[in-house]
Amino acid sequence: MADQKALAADNKPNKHELDNVVEEKIQYIVVGIGDEKYGIDISFIDNIVRMQKITRVPKAPDHYMGVINLRGMVVPVMSIRRKMGLSDDVINNATRIIILKLEEQGLVGVLVDEVNEVIALGESEIDRNVKNSKKSDSSFINGIGKNGDGLVSIFEITAVVDEVVA
Amino acid sequence: MDVSQYLDIFIDETSEHIQSLSDNIMVLENEPENKDTINEIFRAAHSLKGMAGTMGFKRMQHLTHDMENLFSEVRNDSIKVNSELIDILFQCLDAIEGYLETVKSTSDEGTEDNEVLIKKLNEFLESGSGEGGDDDDAGSDAAASSGADEAPAAEASAAPAGDGSAEYLSMKLEEDDILKLQEASDGGSNLYGLTVHVQKDCLLKAARAFLVFKAIDDFGEILCYNPSSQDIEDEKFDLTFSIVISTSSTDTDAIKAAVSAVSEIEAVDMGAVTPDTFKGGAEPEASAPAPEPEKKAPEASAAAAPAPAPAPKPVAESAPKAAPAAAGAKKAANKPVTSRTVRVDIEKLDSLMNQVSELIIAKNSLVSISSSETGEYDSQSFREQIEYLERVTTDLHESVMKVRMVPIESTVNKFPRMIRDLSRKLGKPMDLIMTGEETELDRTVVDQIGDPLQHLLRNSADHGIEKPEDRKKAGKPEKGTIFLNAFQEGNNVIIQVGDDGGGINTEAVKAKAIERGIVTEEEAESLTQKEIVEFLFMPSFSMAKQITDISGRGVGLDVVKSNIEALGGDVEVKTTFGQGSTFTVRLPLTLAIIQALMIEVRDEKYAIALASIMTIENIPKSEIKYVQAKEVIHLRGLVIPLIRLDDLLDFEPAEDDRDDLTVVIVKRGDSHAGLVVDNLMGQQEIVIKSLGKVIENNKIISGATILGDGEVALILDTNAMI
Repeated sequence: MADQKALAADNKPNKHELDNVVEEKIQYIVVGIGDEKYGIDISFIDNIVRMQKITRVPKAPDHYMGVINLRGMVVPVMSIRRKMGLSDDVINNATRIIILKLEEQGLVGVLVDEVNEVIALGESEIDRNVKNSKKSDSSFINGIGKNGDGLVSIFEITAVVDEVVA
Repeated sequence: MDVSQYLDIFIDETSEHIQSLSDNIMVLENEPENKDTINEIFRAAHSLKGMAGTMGFKRMQHLTHDMENLFSEVRNDSIKVNSELIDILFQCLDAIEGYLETVKSTSDEGTEDNEVLIKKLNEFLESGSGEGGDDDDAGSDAAASSGADEAPAAEASAAPAGDGSAEYLSMKLEEDDILKLQEASDGGSNLYGLTVHVQKDCLLKAARAFLVFKAIDDFGEILCYNPSSQDIEDEKFDLTFSIVISTSSTDTDAIKAAVSAVSEIEAVDMGAVTPDTFKGGAEPEASAPAPEPEKKAPEASAAAAPAPAPAPKPVAESAPKAAPAAAGAKKAANKPVTSRTVRVDIEKLDSLMNQVSELIIAKNSLVSISSSETGEYDSQSFREQIEYLERVTTDLHESVMKVRMVPIESTVNKFPRMIRDLSRKLGKPMDLIMTGEETELDRTVVDQIGDPLQHLLRNSADHGIEKPEDRKKAGKPEKGTIFLNAFQEGNNVIIQVGDDGGGINTEAVKAKAIERGIVTEEEAESLTQKEIVEFLFMPSFSMAKQITDISGRGVGLDVVKSNIEALGGDVEVKTTFGQGSTFTVRLPLTLAIIQALMIEVRDEKYAIALASIMTIENIPKSEIKYVQAKEVIHLRGLVIPLIRLDDLLDFEPAEDDRDDLTVVIVKRGDSHAGLVVDNLMGQQEIVIKSLGKVIENNKIISGATILGDGEVALILDTNAMI
């Protein structure tokens, strides 16, 4: 991994020459929601915490589960399932809260069923041609990555937490 | 010299001086003969000039310089204080404030020359001191009254006749330094050069030099050093060093004696110097701009004395030239705007320090109890230590809060000036009487309370106070009174702003409300006076018959109200038609930590700010009455609407078989509401945290807090419920 990074860094100044040889890769954390796998750009992730007591906030938007205490900070937690119109979350031992750090909204927690692995994908491994897909959650996806045999939908994080969409 | 590190201090101190100038000019307006005040103003203007000069803000320096000149005339009784002068001075203050604002946002003074003002100042100077100019009283008068800066130069040629061998005469000075000298001599100070010889066997030369500087400090200011002050500090000089000082004293012997009194100083050469003294030996570039004396700034040449055009460039002339270069350099760097700071009383810091050490002691005692040899905890001493710890943390909290507290003075002290201006503009004589300026509030609150208060005061001045003839008719003194009273009341700070003017014409407000379709005529009949006055706080509800540029555009009281509510406070009006009105602003002392009552609704915990709770009552169900299909209770003469919290907080309705309801009565101003809760948990000190941006705009929840067990509890915003 370190080599890869070094290569990527070396790559930058003379990208044009080496463009076809080494491609810059972005790391994604692969999470499971329902039967599907989703990738979250690691640069947005502040932290991953286990499930804990969520305090409900009355009158908050429906997809917000409430708030949690993250080391003395109060952080809102949203259910991506509710936002995408899937069935409600089933809380179990594998449930995790991904804490996203966003410029505009600050810290926001996102509930996922499980966290699988970290993968690195280059642009060539991601199919960006997903916009015309008819799936209900397509607006939150900006590409589909190929990871070995499986496929990983790449979240468009800003759309996921954006309040206007939905 | 890189002065960016001093920018914060500069901004702080400049604001202070501006304030002090403003205050004193106000005093001066009322007591034109007050010598102390005049001196105070002179000093403040002088300090401003000095600071601006140090920071390289030439335009600001120029303006303050001319102000200082004017005051030196006033001080000498050559100019009498009149309202025209006061007006000019206030304009100058505004201009300086303008510079300061520019400095704050760009760390540069900008390009506004304020030539008109400077011209006005100089015109005033001339008109007032026609005779004063003939005065031989050296520096200040001559320089000031002639409007040009040549006068000191004229005498300059004669000065360097003294001891030609003295080292200070051959000091090599930078252009900047010479400018400084020029300025000092223009400002009426006497310049002296000193060369100090240290004894050969002196061990701590730098320390001796320091003592010499210290001694000179009593007489005046050191303007230039040779070698540089840094080198002197680092002992990078042989046995002599030279300085040029500016002083108001002419007693050279006293200065010489004071310097010689420092031990291990062998000898001191001293003599008067002028900026010219250093011209000859100076670097060529210093004298390069000299051949263009025609390029004088217009205001300087306006009344140029027939003195021979000298080599040194007058400040007025050099300023516009030097400044653009400096400005260019600074803009390129684009320095960050200054950070917000709080000046903390050293005493507060000391007590903070003490409490932290006590905290450490408390921790250590706990450690020693837990590691006692028997392995068993002595529960008695354990409890004692916990109690001790509790006390220390409470004190610590209090101290930290105190550090954040600042007097509202910094915000309200600009108001007298504002009222004065308004008074002239509106042609209504009025006075502002302020009390309790020392009342302390959280820094953030103090910063933001200025605008709402200003608005209320403008309102009072514009709408409240009547025209003098009307006041006379009503049997009131012609001069109106506006007051601002601040005081602490429990956990709140109350600021009352009011006037003895006409009061609010509730009938007119009522008519307006009907006209605007807010209420029907029938409804209006049953409104209380208080409810009618509330209309004034509605968006775009202006009562001003005509729009003035002071107030009355309809964006008024509603903004005041929302601003104050954003700070966790509220505002109320009391008015008597014909006798004036009073706005009462209630603000919380602190924003971060509050005392709260913890309650339970079903299985969820909520906090209610203790300050808003009036009482807690047990109400039998049978006592619930209905008014317009809403539940109310009758309590000690008050009819209080009931709010079912479980309902409000979106719980599924559930059967309640209890006979008694626990009701928390909360108040906001004079309004009340009863919150039905399931369980009371007790009082607790809670730290208020924000809910995060995404769900912040929640109407009934004002924030969250973290309980002892790490759980998050929400804070109910009772103000929004009433």
